[in-house]
Amino acid sequence: MENIIEIKNLTKYYGSLFWKKKKPSLCDLNLNIPEGAIFGFLGPNGAGKTTTIKILMNLIKQSSGDALILGYPPDNVEAKRSIGFLPDAPAFSPYLSAAEFLNICAKLFGIPSDIRKKRIAEVLENVRMTRHAKSKLGGFSRGMTQRIGIAQAILNNPKLLILDEPLVGLDPHGRQELKDIILDQKSRGTSVFFCSHILSDAEKICDRIGILCESKLLCAGRLDELLSETGSKLHVNPGHDDIAKEMLSAAAETIKRPDGGWELSFPNNAETTQALLAVREKHGNAVTITSSRESLEDFFFRKIEDATKSS
Amino acid sequence: MRTINEIMAIAGGAWQLLRMRVVYVLILCVLVLIGSAYRYDVLSLGQHKALMVDVSLMLNTLAAILVAISVTFEISRELREGVASTLLSKPLGRTHYLIGKLVGISIAGIVITGLITIGFCIIFNAAFEDAGIGQTMLLGHLLIMASVIPMSALAVLFSVLVPESISAIVTVIVIWFAHSTPALDKIKILYGGILPDLNLFNLKAEAAYNVAGSISWMYLVLALAWGIIYSVFATSLASLVFGYRDLK
Repeated sequence: MENIIEIKNLTKYYGSLFWKKKKPSLCDLNLNIPEGAIFGFLGPNGAGKTTTIKILMNLIKQSSGDALILGYPPDNVEAKRSIGFLPDAPAFSPYLSAAEFLNICAKLFGIPSDIRKKRIAEVLENVRMTRHAKSKLGGFSRGMTQRIGIAQAILNNPKLLILDEPLVGLDPHGRQELKDIILDQKSRGTSVFFCSHILSDAEKICDRIGILCESKLLCAGRLDELLSETGSKLHVNPGHDDIAKEMLSAAAETIKRPDGGWELSFPNNAETTQALLAVREKHGNAVTITSSRESLEDFFFRKIEDATKSS
Repeated sequence: MRTINEIMAIAGGAWQLLRMRVVYVLILCVLVLIGSAYRYDVLSLGQHKALMVDVSLMLNTLAAILVAISVTFEISRELREGVASTLLSKPLGRTHYLIGKLVGISIAGIVITGLITIGFCIIFNAAFEDAGIGQTMLLGHLLIMASVIPMSALAVLFSVLVPESISAIVTVIVIWFAHSTPALDKIKILYGGILPDLNLFNLKAEAAYNVAGSISWMYLVLALAWGIIYSVFATSLASLVFGYRDLK
């Protein structure tokens, strides 16, 4: 599998030509993202996520290090024909209508005039903005602007979609629609690189993640490999309190559900799992056992806490 | 061909200025002021014809300066709000972005000053039926239309060269200096070779007194060529600076 993004020792110091800040905004970042992945770039505010994206989009220059995007350096204009980009807090010319702005973007992408109109109608439909096509962008709300931002990013059927905080400003319905758009793009073969603060959404759609904290990459890899198994959960159906009581002393956490059932959590331990399976065999359908995995949110905070302690 | 399409796509955004109602209200105000010069016959001891020509040229120059300044606000706003970042994430070079803005605002400026010129011609013909529009008078207005190009190039240069808060003021001061080259002749080092000589585009005295035949059409062509060459120089300098700039 080829890498769509390759980053090697990327460092960025902000400041002018003669005066640079002492602390880098991005420090020795090394990251490879394979083709076809949905990569979630996570981290607290000021970690360097947007800086990385801006370097990849050639909006800012790195102080040192190299980056390749679709095999080209970031300043290669032709590579951008295959890239869709949604900036953090997108802004557009307020005097233009949504359709006029998308028409300018389509011209810049070199979309032929005979299919331009059709493609603009398609993307406006995708982001549920068809009825606002002729409205001026200056009058749009944050959520509507975000939708137009998404429309311009997918206008060219990109090979790589780069989204900076795409879920910000969208209502729950809009967030669900955007997640559907991202998954739809993946099914068409588009690779997605996005940064987000909304970890629950990232966990649902990403197959790979990277966590950045204080300008440094803490970890990166496949989500299912990074999130470890943390034990098992035993669900006891209502009316079987005797079974639950048998296991209470061994459980790390016990919850009595409103319907009268029980939920017992056990730490990750092979012997415990064996014992639970024995209970399952003895009591049949009254008991179900599931393995539980650490959530992305728990993993994220654990990593950030470890990094803070070590620094 | 692709490059031209990209430049014209950006230019298309820049001449949105022409869709603003306030522009036409200003043009109307300018034409009313030009027309009102006809009533100054007593105050100006019969020099109202020359006065109308002079007022029209002065107001047309002011309109051209205002249009040029607007690009300073436009580029600064686009850089501050991130509109430029969205556009530059497309297959568009930074130089093309600046050229697009220059072409767009120049076209808008030429249309606006052109409308004022047409309005002046109609008013002048109606006011002084026997006089007719002299060649120098027309050349004076056409040169103002041509001066939009180097002035816009200056505005583009200063919008990327100096901070947003002072870019418009700096541009106005520089344009004022550039229009005052005869008065500053003895301190040429201030502007020689760097600032454009916008006095080349000023035919107020010749036009007001209708010194027919003293200025040829070739002068217009040469002044226009000079304006374009200077614009290429200013835009290249702007592009060099803009190429290294971090964008929001």
